[in-house]
This record gives sequence, C-alpha cells and structure tokens, in this order.
Amino acid sequence: MATASATPADRFDAVPARAQVSLWSDAWRRLRRNRLAAVSAFYLAFVFAVAIISLVWTPYSTSHLGVVTPYGGPSGAHPLGGDQYGRDILSRLMEGARTSMTVGVGTQIVVLAVGITVGLLAGYFRGWFDTVVTLVINIFYGIPDLLVALILVFLIGQGSLGTIIFAIAVTRWMDMARLVRGQTLSIREREFVEAAKASGAKPRKIIFGHILPNALGPIIVQATIGVPSAILFEAFMSFLGLGIQPPTASWGSMAADGVNAIRISPHIVLAPSLALMITLMAFNFLGDGLRDALDPRQRR
Amino acid sequence: MLTRGTLTYIGQRLVLIAFTVLAVSSIVFLGIHRLPGDALFSERLRGQAYQLLLHHYGLDQPLLVQYQRFLGAMLHGDLGESLVNRGVKITPLVIRELSVSAEVGVVALFFTIVIGIILGTIAAMRQNSWLDYLLSSVSVVGYSMPNFVIASFLILFFAIWLGNVTGGSFQYELNWDGTYGTPGEIWLPAFALGFPYASFVARLTRASMLEVIRQDYIRTARAKGLTEQIVIIRHALRNSLIPVITILGPLVIGIITGGVVIENIFNIPGLGKEFAQSILSRDYNVVIGVFTMYAAMVGVANLLVDLAYTVIDPRIRY
Repeated sequence: MATASATPADRFDAVPARAQVSLWSDAWRRLRRNRLAAVSAFYLAFVFAVAIISLVWTPYSTSHLGVVTPYGGPSGAHPLGGDQYGRDILSRLMEGARTSMTVGVGTQIVVLAVGITVGLLAGYFRGWFDTVVTLVINIFYGIPDLLVALILVFLIGQGSLGTIIFAIAVTRWMDMARLVRGQTLSIREREFVEAAKASGAKPRKIIFGHILPNALGPIIVQATIGVPSAILFEAFMSFLGLGIQPPTASWGSMAADGVNAIRISPHIVLAPSLALMITLMAFNFLGDGLRDALDPRQRR
Repeated sequence: MLTRGTLTYIGQRLVLIAFTVLAVSSIVFLGIHRLPGDALFSERLRGQAYQLLLHHYGLDQPLLVQYQRFLGAMLHGDLGESLVNRGVKITPLVIRELSVSAEVGVVALFFTIVIGIILGTIAAMRQNSWLDYLLSSVSVVGYSMPNFVIASFLILFFAIWLGNVTGGSFQYELNWDGTYGTPGEIWLPAFALGFPYASFVARLTRASMLEVIRQDYIRTARAKGLTEQIVIIRHALRNSLIPVITILGPLVIGIITGGVVIENIFNIPGLGKEFAQSILSRDYNVVIGVFTMYAAMVGVANLLVDLAYTVIDPRIRY
C-alpha cells in the first residue's frame, strides 16, 4: 500500500490536479449540464433568429388584409390560419417575436445602464446620494408598475417602440439598482478593494476595475429575469390596446383580437398566447439555470 | 389589538396616503393639461359652442387657476365631470367601479392564498414524489403565464368546450349582468386573476414548510403522539406562513394591476375597465379620476397588509 516515504504533501500531489478553469467557463459547463436551461437557451436563440428573419422575410405580408379568409382556420398554405381581417397569423407571429424581443432586450439595456450606474454610485460613495436613491427605490416599490407604465405612455403620446421601452424601463430600473447597490456595499469592504485603495487606485479604477467585474454574475441573472417581465409588460399594454399600435404586430394585441373572436375561431388567440407563454417560461428556466451556474453556493 | 401606538401609526399612514394621492393626481393633471385645451375634446367644434364648452370645463382659464380649482374640488371629494359623457359626475362613478374591482380582487386574493397554501403544503408533505413534481411544474407554468392567457384558456374550456359537450347545461356564462358579480359569475375571473400568484404562494409555502418540519418543536409534537394532521395544521403551517406574509404586499399590488386586464376580458364594470376605456376614448378627466382612485386604493391596501402582519405575527408591532 502506501510506501514509508509518502508524506502528506506527496499524497496531495498524487490527486490529479483539476485543469485550471475560469469562473466563466466553469459556469458555462454547469449551465450546459442543466438540460432545461440548455433547451430554453436553444429555443430562445430560435425566437431571436425568427425575429431577425422577420425583418427581411415573412411568408406573407404582416399588414395586408385579406391574404387569408378572415377567421380562416389553419391550412396547408397558412399553417396557423388567418385573423379577423384575413392577415396571415404565422407572419404576424414572426413580427410579434421581433416586437417582444426588441422590447425585452431594449428595456434591459436601459435598465442595465441606469441601474448599474445608480447602484454603483450609491453603493460606493453612500452619503446623501445613497439616501435619496434608497428613498426613490422604496417609493417605486409601493406603486403599481403596470399602471404607471400605462399612464406614462398615455402622457407621452401613443406607443412607439421607444416610448414603450422608456415607460417600462422607468418602472423596472430599481430591481437592478437595488441589486448593484447591495453588491457594491458588500464588495467595497473586501480585502482586494482595500489593497487597491492602499496602492493608490482612483475611485473610477476601483469601481470599474474591481467592484463591477465581481458583481457581474448576479447582474447577468437579474438582466435575464428582467427580460420576460418587460415582455410581459408590453404584452399587457398591447393587450389593452395601449401599447404597440396597429398595424405593427404584438403578441399581446394579437391575443386581444383573438379573445374577441374566441367563440368562432379559437385559433386566433391560441397562437400568440402559446408563443408568449413558452417564451416567458424559457426565459424563467434560463434565468434559474444561470443563477445555479454562476452562484453554485446559492442553490434553491 | 388597537393600542394607542397602532392608532397613531394608522393616522400617520392615512395622512401619508392623502399626500400621495394628491401628488399623484397633480402629476397626472399637469401632465395632461400641458396639452392645448382643444386637444381635450374629441369632436371638432368651432365658434361660440366651443367657447361655451371650454368655459363649462374651466379650460379657458390659465393653467394655474385650473390647477387651483382642481385642488380645491379634490379636497371636497369632487373629481369633476366626464369630457365624453357630459353631465356624468366622476366621483360617484369611480367609487362604484372601485367597489366592483375590490369585490373581484378580494375573491382572487382568497383563491390565491387558499389554493397556494394547500398546494404548497401537499407538495412539501409528499416531497420528491410524482405529486410534488407535478405541482412544482404546474406552478412554474402558472407564474410564467400572463393572466390573459390563463383567462382565454379558462374561457375556451368552461364557457365554450364544456357548453358544447354538455349541451349547454354546465357552462360558464360570459356575460356579467349586474354591476356586481354573483358567485356564479365571479369565480372564473377571480381564479384567472389569482392563479399566477397562487403558484408563487405554493412555491414559497413548500420551501418554508420543508424547513419548518425539520425543526425540533415539530419532532416534539410528533413525539407526544399528536396525529400528523394536527402537527401540520396547528404547528407547522403557522410558522411556515411567515415568508408568505412578507409577499402579501406585492401580491395585493399584483392583483390590483392584473385586474385591469381581467376586467377587460370578462367585461367587468370595474375600475380597470374604466382605466383602459377612458384612455382609449381620451376622456382625460376620467383618467385623472381613475388614477387618483388607484393611488388611494394601493395606499389603503398596503396599509391593510401592514396591519394584517400584526394580527398574524404578534411579534410585529407598530
């Protein structure tokens, strides 16, 4: 068995060393192993691809009336049938994917920009700015976000994509700001920040070189979870007729059209509803998977 | 329960709510009235009739005077008159609609909490069984589903499919007859409204129940020979509800906002339907009135939730 010369150090060396991997490639490996998250990521890539393809090609025009028999059910030429004006539902579903993805990602870009900046500044410098930010965040948590977004779109004037992204971002930035602030507060007390300060690094270098990279994991998870909530908001607004204006297709407004015709042709409501539901689920699964992958200690 | 401290706390909160309501309605008022006066009417009127109409609504005054009048009227509980349906007073209208929305909301909240707690407890009791996996998957689907999607599925099933299958003898009638819903009318919209949040409550209950039933006092309760039912219902459930209580606030706000969509699908004459309708018909005065009512409703709902904490968990005091 063990020879007499074996010291603890020898035995330690005998264990094959794990190949050096960075946090990110480690997380990537864990994410790929999570089958549900992998399938979701694959599906979402597909939806993104469809959204981009719809820019240049859809099977039929998305706005021309009477391409199909109005209220016509699924057929060979029109796999998802036609809506109440005789527009091809598959084509509009593709355009709706574009609307959803634009709003979802667009909102998160604004939220990331505002939330990270505000959170870093409040968490790092604290003082009066932090007090004000915390107060504003708490006020925003007490108000019904959907109603505020609706009234904002109304006050700005009816919904272009930009208006809607702005309105949703106004009601959604504080989740990100609160997260980044909390992360900053804890990271700024760690030894490596102390060391950086002692070696004379300027605040800008410390914030962007040390604090932000270490907070990236939770930020990515939060951004992923934020996308479906923005998509849901847009769908709600368009469902009420107060979001994206016709003729641009949105899954929300398509579902609203379908609800009105639910007795005669249920296929009109089913297509956008299922698309929306599966997409939201995929984002939620991917978000859960990312959280498990990036922060293995915090298993649910 | 109502100590002096609690009463003072309620008083302070009510003052705060009043200020919030005033601030919210002022913001919406000023936001709308930066538009020129004639943008406020949908018809194109000319000449004297138009001037008379402007004068009737006080829109011929400078903005500051309009705002003063608005504030003065609001302090007397008067939200003015509808721009579309002339002569209709907004205050009684929105109060009636508020009570309709509250009716649906309370039933939905009841569904959410009761269904959520029951499903969560069952899942925890049968941890890692097929039933647990089934309930967990249903709850993921549940909170990924927008409530209008749930509502459409429910309508397809209960109002259309069930009617076709049974020849119309068991069928949900989609039409909401009176102002208020009867039990037969209200359950479906309330269920659609509450279901996504019920899945959320179920997840929370399951997690905290699993934590609680591993604690010593539960072992003690079992050891002294209590039946499993009493251990769970009387001892474990109470403590496992504490995390559920903490999300009661967001839950209530979610149900209030979700109501806007549900009321429009089921044609319920509540505040949410009026909110969407008034924006679409550009009835600016009603928009201000409805939004003011929402601010008040959310303020009071948050206060009630905070007071409910003290009843459920006596360790919390104000």
